[in-house]
Amino acid sequence: MRREDILRMFPERMRSRWQNVADLCDQVQEIRLRAGRPVTILLGKGERFVDAGGQIVDRQDCGAGITAGELDEILQHLCQYSLYAFADEIRQGFLTMQGGHRVGLAGQVILEEAGRIRNIKYIRYLNIRIAHQIKGAADSVLYFLYDKGRVRNTLLISPPGCGKTTMLRDIIRQLSDGTAYGPGMNVSVVDERSEIAGSYMGIPQNDVGTRTDVLDGCPKVEGMMMLIRSMAPQVLAVDELGSDKDIEALRMASGCGCNLLATIHGNSLKEIQNKDYMRYVIEESLFERYVVLARRSGNCVIEGIYDQEGQRCIK
Amino acid sequence: MYKVVGILCILAGCAGFGNLKVRQEKDRIRHLRAFIHIMRRIQNEISYGKHTVPEICLIIADCGENGYASYFKEIHRQMCQGNGTGLKETWKEQMEACLRELPLQAEEKEAIMNLPVFLGLQEENRQAMGLEQSVELLTRKCRQAEEAYDNRAKMIHSVSILAGLLLSILLL
Repeated sequence: MRREDILRMFPERMRSRWQNVADLCDQVQEIRLRAGRPVTILLGKGERFVDAGGQIVDRQDCGAGITAGELDEILQHLCQYSLYAFADEIRQGFLTMQGGHRVGLAGQVILEEAGRIRNIKYIRYLNIRIAHQIKGAADSVLYFLYDKGRVRNTLLISPPGCGKTTMLRDIIRQLSDGTAYGPGMNVSVVDERSEIAGSYMGIPQNDVGTRTDVLDGCPKVEGMMMLIRSMAPQVLAVDELGSDKDIEALRMASGCGCNLLATIHGNSLKEIQNKDYMRYVIEESLFERYVVLARRSGNCVIEGIYDQEGQRCIK
Repeated sequence: MYKVVGILCILAGCAGFGNLKVRQEKDRIRHLRAFIHIMRRIQNEISYGKHTVPEICLIIADCGENGYASYFKEIHRQMCQGNGTGLKETWKEQMEACLRELPLQAEEKEAIMNLPVFLGLQEENRQAMGLEQSVELLTRKCRQAEEAYDNRAKMIHSVSILAGLLLSILLL
């Protein structure tokens, strides 16, 4: 994480205000900009505010706001004055920036007749989420993912904010580069929301390994089959399964000889087993390993690693 | 003898001045055509390629559009070096330098200089259409200049020679 990554997100004339925030680049997790409200930054040790001179202060009433015009200017700058080029991302409510950082957007949504989102206007809320790739996050689970050099189909289960995408990214990187348990493999990633590789202008901003191909911004169902046909992956990775169509595509991919890595929102294996669209998958033993993540005392931990029978794995 | 040489010199000077004016008009048409081509390319890269404006500038620079490549390359460089320079300022600065010596009319230069004003739409086809007003203006000006070129060239040549003759007569 470089301080320039933070400064680069702001137009030249605003940069002086962000120097102090940029100096804390290793601690900053989020920068929240809301029109007419104090600028908030989320550090590892809690929430702070930024005053008009760029000083970081503890008290909310000392924090200075940002105008709607400044937000527009920042947005234009983030999009390189080419909003049309980022229309799909804006519709989904986020932008991926150089360095893999993500900017969440909120404003007034314009709907099409079919009820789909056409665009977002009056974007008055920006949440700049600073990416911190944690290399080695998957070290403790890798042993369980291999079976005589082959990668087992693995599902990461975690509630939001417990690091499942971070773990998936590190597993991908290590499988791709090779580990003590097996040689490097061709890994293909369907990165529907640009969260895994954090691609910016087609180039992954996070290290996802030397043998990894990324299909960025593509829906999972189409993306999985495209990659199988075109890139012949040994391992196929997707983030956040959420529908029976995703599961159907996974089953097809598995039938094509790919090993699968996937994540899903959930608090436990049992909760996942109770989801309608997951029941068949579990009965069929499509996944051979389940890695459950949880938050304990504010820290993200591996709650358990389970085999296809639901039995806890022990090294 | 000196008078004849003087008259010939005056006539040659006036004819040369006329030629210069005709050439300027020809150059104006050439530059207008080039800028129309560039604007159309920008529209296509927006609507079809969905490239960002800095990327489009690099594409145009790589195409080697006459003498403009260096200016477009500079816009791309300044926009991508990460110092936070705005497109409006960069575009204005570079296009001012590019257009300064060109024989274009003020209205035509303004249409080119104002391109960033029309950016900011979220849909690529509408954004491309947003530039249409400038393209139409340049196209209309170019067509008018092309249609008037032959007559204008003849007129300038005739007037310059007649002016030379008149000057010679006055000086005799």
